[in-house]
Amino acid sequence: MTEKEAFETVVKIITPHAKNPAALASAKMDTNILDDLKVNSARLVDVVLAFEDAFDIEIADEEVDSVNTIGDCVRLILAKAS
Amino acid sequence: MQVAFRDRLALLVQREVGRLLGPVWIPAAVAVLRWRHGWQIVGSGAARREFARLRRESQAPLLVCANHLTMVDSFLIAIALGSPWWYVAHFSALPWNTPERDNFSRTWWLRIATYVMKCIPVERGGDRREIGRTLERFIYMLGRGDVGLIFPEGGRSRSGRIDPEASTYGVGRVVKSLPGCRVLCVYLRGEGQAAYSDAPARGERFRVLFASLEPKTEQGGMRGSLAITRQILARLAALETEWFDARQ
Repeated sequence: MTEKEAFETVVKIITPHAKNPAALASAKMDTNILDDLKVNSARLVDVVLAFEDAFDIEIADEEVDSVNTIGDCVRLILAKAS
Repeated sequence: MQVAFRDRLALLVQREVGRLLGPVWIPAAVAVLRWRHGWQIVGSGAARREFARLRRESQAPLLVCANHLTMVDSFLIAIALGSPWWYVAHFSALPWNTPERDNFSRTWWLRIATYVMKCIPVERGGDRREIGRTLERFIYMLGRGDVGLIFPEGGRSRSGRIDPEASTYGVGRVVKSLPGCRVLCVYLRGEGQAAYSDAPARGERFRVLFASLEPKTEQGGMRGSLAITRQILARLAALETEWFDARQ
């Protein structure tokens, strides 16, 4: 899986939870999921579980602590998937 | 995640300051609650006996999980589970809790009160690493034998009722991190409380119900944490039903 593929899947998963469509349309690796995309922090669990299903990985609670941006998600997923 | 030496030291200092000042602030706080606000808790005798029994029968970590309707719930629940002088003598039983920083940092006296009341403030929706660090500090104190209190819904019940499907995982993470962790579910609600608010009405009369459980899951990661949280929320929802049934 390439970084681009992971990025596209991450954005697709986040899309239903993002309340800032403008920021979503121009999303980059350094886009903050909570602050820029306005994803409700309570929805973060659903997002992470969707990552687990989509990439067939298991993400530990502690690993979620390092997730703030889309790039953080992509790097975590690529590290897990490899 | 390891709790840094500086954080461990700060927690132990906070605990000792609260304990040494306990004979002053605990009875004073309860007096304010009773005489200024006129709040009463019905059913606290049975809840106190169960809490004391759980504390006595095992050294395993103990976590109190409760419904959440007002910003003073953590204090009301603590008082429902123990008398002021019992907490002075058993300060480790007074639960640590993690209030929203913004709600309790507005005045100097609120900051002092939350410090001695064993609070570890958290910025909800803030930086994930900082939230994780707060949870680890909370887990550290439970691992040392202190009691903790968490609201599994992650905030006040916006509908006024328990949401058994709430997608929070913090409480599950705490339970998973502490092998053998026991949970005391507490449902406390005022007779006149129809919805969430900042504070209960003056003269409010609360009734408290409780149930113990040891949540378990075979699932790992965040899915396992969510499963544990859902078990606790299901028990709280059952207590809520019992609470409303008893009122009729």
